[in-house]
Amino acid sequence: MKDQWTDRLSEYLDGELAGSERTALEAHLASCGNCRATLEELRRVVGRARALDDRLPTADLWPGIAQHIGVVSLAARRARRRLSFTVPQLAAASVALALVSGGAVWLLGGRTHAPTATAATEVGRRPAPLINASAYPTDPRYAAQVAALERALQRGRSQLDTATVRIIEKNLKIIDRAIRDAQSALVADPGSAYLNLHLAQEMRRKLELLREAANLAGARS
Amino acid sequence: MLTTLATLATFALAQQTDTTVPVRTGARLEVSNFGGEIAVKTWSRNAVRVVADHSSRDRILVDALDQVVRVKAEGGRRGPSQVDYVITVPAWMALSLSGVYTDIKVDGAQNEVRAETVQGEVSVVGGSGNVSLKSVQGSVTLEKARGRIDLNTVNEEIRATDISGDIAVETVNGDITLTQIESANTEANTVNGDVSYDGTIKDGGRYRFTTHDGDLRVSVPEKASVTVTVSTFDGDFSACFPVQLSRKSKHRFDLTIGAGSARVELESFNGDIHLCRPGQVMKPEGDHNHEH
Repeated sequence: MKDQWTDRLSEYLDGELAGSERTALEAHLASCGNCRATLEELRRVVGRARALDDRLPTADLWPGIAQHIGVVSLAARRARRRLSFTVPQLAAASVALALVSGGAVWLLGGRTHAPTATAATEVGRRPAPLINASAYPTDPRYAAQVAALERALQRGRSQLDTATVRIIEKNLKIIDRAIRDAQSALVADPGSAYLNLHLAQEMRRKLELLREAANLAGARS
Repeated sequence: MLTTLATLATFALAQQTDTTVPVRTGARLEVSNFGGEIAVKTWSRNAVRVVADHSSRDRILVDALDQVVRVKAEGGRRGPSQVDYVITVPAWMALSLSGVYTDIKVDGAQNEVRAETVQGEVSVVGGSGNVSLKSVQGSVTLEKARGRIDLNTVNEEIRATDISGDIAVETVNGDITLTQIESANTEANTVNGDVSYDGTIKDGGRYRFTTHDGDLRVSVPEKASVTVTVSTFDGDFSACFPVQLSRKSKHRFDLTIGAGSARVELESFNGDIHLCRPGQVMKPEGDHNHEH
């Protein structure tokens, strides 16, 4: 459920609310579990972003991702000095952070087969729609990252012990099953914050396992 | 007969290296071992003793520099070696241990510990500051540590006991068991496994426990001040004490205990979520519903 304060949470987190608004929002937070939960998700995403390596990827993947999933770019948001996230957007941002950090690590790691990022795209022309996270696995950026990491893993497969390869494949299947479960659940309840975030978490986990496996194969080759 | 010959040949090739080097306060230990075992224990001397069982064709290198002691084996053209190390270090020494087909054991560490292996178990008693233990295909166990704790594996369980500090734990296919925890910030995630947490819920603390296919069992002390958010798609919720639920959506509800200052998030897509009092959350040994 969305109320008048939901869209102000980002400003609150950024310390941009005026004193009276801040007080009013804090009073609202004390009685609104939804806003508290959304604020917590927002803090987590911001925390993850801060925890990322400061090095920039050689190509910025975010603008393309942002445009595709309908999230207004950081630059556009800064220009407007107004941040507003829907829960699915938070989920998208969460996955996108994994994509960007994965891309950064991958590209800086000297790998040459990372997907090519497109140039900055026009963003902010249209309002960010309330998107359904169940579409993310078909997002071309996500699919491209997964495919690139799978190819890298395939290339380095011979460098890994067969038992290790089996274990990685088995665990990727476990994660894939979780992703499918979450997608199926979202068909019936597309607005569920829990299901959107759960799907995002499992997608991010898949990327992380693939990245780790590819790095492992790369380190051994 | 063949087995006997093979055994004799193995003994004929076996060799032990035993070296002790002095170290300055603040130095750290770095050990890299392709296969075998790294066992580290502590003593009160400012010295590092390396005892290595290895093939006579391998050479054990102990490189004692000002701020670091590096230990590794050289196997020549044959490639990576298989070595069993027993290394005794000052308790204050920071440890960085890595391997591939390697079990890692540490007992008595009082400083940072980083241990990484691919096919092998990691078991550490002690550690403070940054304690990071990682395996792909082996269980991870930590006891009596404090600081920033990061435990990670892929296909096995993780156990942490008597830990204080910020804790992050993740596996894909395995249970997570956290007991005697003193933390204001804990996150534990698995995909296919149960998660158990028995520890403090501190005022203003943040706790998050998630699984896809598994049950959650989490302790909440009687006088805790906590808001609990429970999310499940196809599981049940139960508590062994009276709680007042307020439904927030189809798959999510909240409950508040006391003033609600701490925040606990519990998520299990397919499993059950159970709140209990400290000391009541652990399942009996052998009661595992999941095949890993």
